[in-house]
Amino acid sequence: MPPLIGPVSLVAVASGPGLVSYNTLVVLGGVATVGFAAGVVGSLALLRKRPLVGDAAAHATLAGVAAAFLATGRRDLPALLGGALVAAVAALAVLVLIRRVARTRDDAATAVVIGVSFGIGLALLAGITARGIPGSGGLEQFLLGHTAALTAGDARLLAAVSLAAVAIVALGFKEAVVLCFDPQFAAATGWPVGLLDLVLVALVAVMVVVGLPAAGAVLVTALVVIPPVAARQWTDRAGPLLVTAGVIGLTAAVTGVVVTASRPGLSTGPVIVLAAALICGVSFLVAPRRGVIAQWLARVRRERRWARGDLSAWDLADADEAVPLPLPAVSHVAAVPLRGADGK
Amino acid sequence: MTLAASMPLVEFHDVTVAYGRRPVLWHVDLAIDRPCLFGVIGPNGAGKSTLLKAALGLVPVVGGYTRFFGEPLARVRGRVGYVPQRETVDWDFPVSVHDVVLMGTYGRLGWFRRPGGRERDLAHACLERVGLADLAGRQIGRLSGGQQQRVFLARALAQEADIYLFDEPMAGVDVRSQERIFAVLAELRDAGRLVIVVHHDLRTAAEWFDRVALVDMRLVAAGPTAEVLTPENLDRTYAGRAELLEELGRAVAERGRTS
Amino acid sequence: MASDASLTVHAWAMATAAMVSASCGLVGGLLVVRRMSLLGDAIAHAVLPGIAVAVLAGGSLGGPAVFAGAVAAALATVWLTQAIHAGVGLAEDAGAGVVFTSLFALGVVIVTLAASRIDLDPECVLFGILELAAFDRVRVGGLLVPRAFVTAVVVFLGVAGGLAASWRWQVFTAFDPAAARAAGIPVGLVTSLLLAATAVAAVAGFEAVGAVLVVAMLVVPAATAELLVQRMHWLVVVAVGVAIAAACGGYALAWRWNTSAAGMIAVVLGGCYAVAVLMAPGDGILARAIARLRLEWRVAREDCLARIWRACEAEGRDAAHVGDPQTWLERMAGLWLERRGVVRRKNGCVTLSDHGRREAEMVVRSHRLWEAWLGRHAELPIDHLHPPAEWLEHHVGAAMRDQIEAELSAGQVDPHGRTIPPEAAG
Repeated sequence: MPPLIGPVSLVAVASGPGLVSYNTLVVLGGVATVGFAAGVVGSLALLRKRPLVGDAAAHATLAGVAAAFLATGRRDLPALLGGALVAAVAALAVLVLIRRVARTRDDAATAVVIGVSFGIGLALLAGITARGIPGSGGLEQFLLGHTAALTAGDARLLAAVSLAAVAIVALGFKEAVVLCFDPQFAAATGWPVGLLDLVLVALVAVMVVVGLPAAGAVLVTALVVIPPVAARQWTDRAGPLLVTAGVIGLTAAVTGVVVTASRPGLSTGPVIVLAAALICGVSFLVAPRRGVIAQWLARVRRERRWARGDLSAWDLADADEAVPLPLPAVSHVAAVPLRGADGK
Repeated sequence: MTLAASMPLVEFHDVTVAYGRRPVLWHVDLAIDRPCLFGVIGPNGAGKSTLLKAALGLVPVVGGYTRFFGEPLARVRGRVGYVPQRETVDWDFPVSVHDVVLMGTYGRLGWFRRPGGRERDLAHACLERVGLADLAGRQIGRLSGGQQQRVFLARALAQEADIYLFDEPMAGVDVRSQERIFAVLAELRDAGRLVIVVHHDLRTAAEWFDRVALVDMRLVAAGPTAEVLTPENLDRTYAGRAELLEELGRAVAERGRTS
Repeated sequence: MASDASLTVHAWAMATAAMVSASCGLVGGLLVVRRMSLLGDAIAHAVLPGIAVAVLAGGSLGGPAVFAGAVAAALATVWLTQAIHAGVGLAEDAGAGVVFTSLFALGVVIVTLAASRIDLDPECVLFGILELAAFDRVRVGGLLVPRAFVTAVVVFLGVAGGLAASWRWQVFTAFDPAAARAAGIPVGLVTSLLLAATAVAAVAGFEAVGAVLVVAMLVVPAATAELLVQRMHWLVVVAVGVAIAAACGGYALAWRWNTSAAGMIAVVLGGCYAVAVLMAPGDGILARAIARLRLEWRVAREDCLARIWRACEAEGRDAAHVGDPQTWLERMAGLWLERRGVVRRKNGCVTLSDHGRREAEMVVRSHRLWEAWLGRHAELPIDHLHPPAEWLEHHVGAAMRDQIEAELSAGQVDPHGRTIPPEAAG
């Protein structure tokens, strides 16, 4: 786990000694916690084969933020995030409704909800801005994320909710793994699969909302998607996967806060996502066994042995045992199902 | 523990299952009243797996009900073990062989309790019974098909159930694993358990099962293997008469949409 | 005079929005039927770094360099996703999630860092610059036309031309890629062409409504059209129509309410979709509710008649005592039939008119024919025959009844030994 001291001292260097206020440290800690929790919760979404379930919810949050501002007339983070949560849940509910009553394909339904809900948010936001409603400045920071404006109180709230989410996952870890690995078995053993799925989706929605101030509505999905994908490269066990994803999310979040602290024009979201993407790319390449390089080396070694007539890589008594990785064949673009699809 | 023979261990009463509006299993009546190795046999798409899933409440039942030990499933869940088809799970999932077997104990553990030493020992013992103890730490994707099926079998053993439902445990499994799996199933039967197996291979069915049911969208016949697997019954199961039922179901589904 | 000028500005912006929207709707039809809606979303996000780099290298918005950069970025997205899938076995949806968010983030960072040097900033990346489009004009044949409109027209013609040229192949590939490949169609090329068209439409859309809302323009018109029509070419025609109407309507509303045109276009598109879900003929919520109600009403009427007929049969005369109806709908049906004179009450007994009797006989005939047929052919046990027949009797026309009777060949008696009434004359 990368020590927190490093980035913190970086902040000190970047902004000059004496300028690292208590507030900055609390915000850093809060956003780091959000990054960790997003990685943990996102891992479960990935294992449940619904990595992008939060995307529709994420795009809808903007409308919730704008509506909450119109309702309260203040830029009060808890209220705005409350509105965002309502909107996120509403978007997911509409998605479920469309699946029930319309014969629109799942992916198209998701795209419809993403596009239209974001459009509502943008129209509300632009309307508020155009009317110059007092106190509305800075609402657009929820688009791409901006941590500089966060107060220590805000950060504590984000951290508390994130820790609660992590605690729920820790408590129900056993149930979550059975659900994700073998839902049929889980149902037959008497676990309420529908309820567990609902809790999982709710956790993702909460993480999307909590991640909003740091990563913004457009990119917050990445906070839930990329760290688990990167972490999967490094481990073959579910528990370590969750922790690794959390640490990667934390690292990316801290990087985002530190870098944007020194470049005021830059939004936090894109930087966090780029940091996570970098870690992910490196993981794809160099991870042991699953990494591209490791697989390439293994193949070269195997082929060299075969060329020497040494077939010991194959245990002939149990020939089909030595399959290294169950790689599905490259399917054609036409079959690329993105997002949603929710395991039907 | 031996099971009392006074009431049927499993009873299907007038079970009808439809996917959407289209019925796939018509009015099945079947009771099994003593521990045995019971095969559910029929052609592809005959509704064999659906029958098991209906019994376990995994697919919605249009009519009828299933009882285990004379009780609805919810009250005796801990005594019923289920092994789904191997293809239904993602074998690239990040869990070890031991983790999967441990899942068999989760039903008894209940909410939020972590498996302890007793559960781990049990899981290990179950892995030994299927001959996979030395692979306990391996990621499940790095096993052969037969070994994967044995992992599922070990998980079922860890459930310590009285009735076991297996969905195609022999599909895509090498001969060595098949024999091993069958040996464990026979052990279960000898220990007084009822073992119900969905199976598609007629040749092995005759030699493995004590009793069988022939199913093709409806129950064709059920009883001791030798009495049921007659040329006449097999003809009625495999001659495709159920096509009429299938057509009928489709006609109803379509009329319901447009009318 | 001033208002005239502003009217011209708005008219041009609206026309631009309509052209852009039409291009997106055109591409979207194929994306939606090929289940590539979210790939469209991914491409719409991922073209940003391509555009940013092209602009940074000196290309102008709407220029060929920008389109080339966008197409390259779109193809890179798909290629990267597949490479990750093949390389490390990651599911394609997760892979695409990683790739397009990363590329979009990269684009935003580039745009932010270079904001002082290029006429793009994160604001217009997200909101689009439709409102400003009318001010940058070029002279076309003596007329001052906004550059963005000219670009939009060129894009529309290009996309329409490309898709029209490959239309048969596109439809075949969308319907059954494997069969298309077997038939010798260059499926990879056809798909690449679609992806390129998507990227080009996305660039035009990006300028107009911003990167995020392009997905609404791409998918919603086609999703709406899909609910309304069955044939592929009509789907595209309707999608383009919806796209144009929503663009104009959304722009007008945004103008009136002083808000973002991009946002309002998406909102109006959402409204179109909602109306289609509700009102679509055949499959809409309303149509299905009506059909269901009519079916239940007919079943209730038929059950009511059949019950009276059976009671009469049991008592062996024309009038009988009949128990209370089982559902409120059947009660209503009874009252309705009475009012129509089909059912008559006589001192506590109920009797049927000639017409009612004929109708009831057909229902009972259906029921008993089914029982006989099911008993003979489906080999269901005799005590299990009633429920399926009860369920099937309302779904049988005269033709089907005749067919069953012909198959049964022998006997006018059902498995319970009751007579099956003959088919009504005429």
